[in-house]
Amino acid sequence: MRSVIWYLREFLRAPWVHAFLFARTAPLVTPSHFRDYPTLTDVECTHCFSCRMICPAPGAIEVLQEGGAWHPVIHRGHCLRCGLCVEACPEGVLASGRILRWQEEDRTSFRATFRIQVDHAKCMRCGNCCVSCPVNKEQDPQMAGGGHSSNDEVIMRIAGGNHTVIHEERCVGCRTCEEGCPNSAIRVARILEGVQGVAER
Amino acid sequence: MKKVVDVSIPLGPVHPCWKEPARIKCETRGEKVLSAEVELGYMKKGIERIMKGRPWQEVLFLAERVCGICSVIHNMVFIEGMEAISGITVPDRAAYLRVVVNELDRIQSHLLANFSFCYTIEHETLAMYLLNTRERAMDSLERITGARVNKAYMIPGGVRFDLRDADRAALCADLDHMEEAVNRYARMFEGGPLIATRAKGVGILTREQARIARAVGPTARASGIAEDLRLAHPTYRRLQFAPIVRTEGDNFARIMVRFQEIFQSIMLVRQCLHDLPAGPIRGGGTCGAGETVSRGEAPRGELSYFIRSDEYGRITDIAIRTPSIMNIDACTHYMLPGVTSLADVTSVFVSADPCIACNER
Repeated sequence: MRSVIWYLREFLRAPWVHAFLFARTAPLVTPSHFRDYPTLTDVECTHCFSCRMICPAPGAIEVLQEGGAWHPVIHRGHCLRCGLCVEACPEGVLASGRILRWQEEDRTSFRATFRIQVDHAKCMRCGNCCVSCPVNKEQDPQMAGGGHSSNDEVIMRIAGGNHTVIHEERCVGCRTCEEGCPNSAIRVARILEGVQGVAER
Repeated sequence: MKKVVDVSIPLGPVHPCWKEPARIKCETRGEKVLSAEVELGYMKKGIERIMKGRPWQEVLFLAERVCGICSVIHNMVFIEGMEAISGITVPDRAAYLRVVVNELDRIQSHLLANFSFCYTIEHETLAMYLLNTRERAMDSLERITGARVNKAYMIPGGVRFDLRDADRAALCADLDHMEEAVNRYARMFEGGPLIATRAKGVGILTREQARIARAVGPTARASGIAEDLRLAHPTYRRLQFAPIVRTEGDNFARIMVRFQEIFQSIMLVRQCLHDLPAGPIRGGGTCGAGETVSRGEAPRGELSYFIRSDEYGRITDIAIRTPSIMNIDACTHYMLPGVTSLADVTSVFVSADPCIACNER
């Protein structure tokens, strides 16, 4: 009996009756503040690859050239929708939810530095890393197998029978050298720092 | 030693009452449970192994995915560990915003836990009410962080997004709504005569047993152990936090502790919003080499991360201990034996709020 009274009191309340008779399920709309898959804005991409270097998910973002223009491509299903690429882009090419607007208002950004670490005990001085490095390729297009170079502007080269890193600061963190190394001797550390109120590079 | 049992009844691994797979084997005589044993291992993912060799910006997302229900605390404990290793300080505003998000996450986790219990005892009305209220907490989180489940909100040296005034007003409205709604549901739960038959005096864990089984979180606090790691957290200390303790140690107490903690969390969020200092939300700082054990109070109890990193801030070694394993142990060894009806086994297990995904990682 107590339960019956309880249920009557619970379900004969005006808000409940109103909801029972007139409630409509709200349409399933993604709110504008949801951090969805990044979309492209109209800003031109400078293919600096910052978005690719910060992305935590393997194979989620690529920067491709199509008809002379570069633009990032998001692979859905790989993308975690974390929004780090949106924050990392210095130009504001990508947008997701309110991240881009907030970033401009708060002047927040990520600062990435890249460090090259070579295990000389494992390194065979084959020069694969130096040859595969895209920055090296730009500086010294003549660099061939062996990784020798007379150009002092390259990131790294094989000199005097040893692997030497000359311009670590030029590294863009793409890790191509890691993939090309037959002995896992070279590693690139991507060091990330969240900053506010600092002018972007 | 040979035991005389009628029958050994397996429950699970696929069971309609449980959100995640686990198997409980109950030795019974008639309806009475004599002893129970739990079998885990249905959802091992090997997350700790995947984390090794990666920098924080990759491990952060893996840490969040250890547990879908309490992802914020995994984020927070991991990042606080990295900050302790590297000597990074957090701006005041960011520290308060972390507490706001963490407490909102606790609210939604506790609401989900209480939903599961009500659902298990077949009180679907109350269960769905609670789930409906939980959406408010989820919406607030989405407004602040941009995502509902895996928020990725905290980074070393601060948080990712600031709290806007419009969102703050919406958050306050949500808090008022949640407080009013949960207050009504807590009273329904407390005064429900049918709920009492399934909750009061069922699955008792005494204080001594809780101590021996190393129960943590709301399960321990419902048995009279006043332990809460938020007491040791610098930001919570500033908020004059005091844990909620009940002494009954039964299903009812565990659920009521969670209801009371929801109110406490609402008060903490309000206090944070009131005290929220102006200033930056990110202090910068890079991660370095070191080794530490970082602890925090997850919605289910003590969560600890052992972290070792190299000079570039990459994780070389990591070990996670999640709270549920102790609570599952306490449940199978102390709560379940002596349960007078086999029908209560599921509700007792669910009242300890086991998170199997956390356990097996």
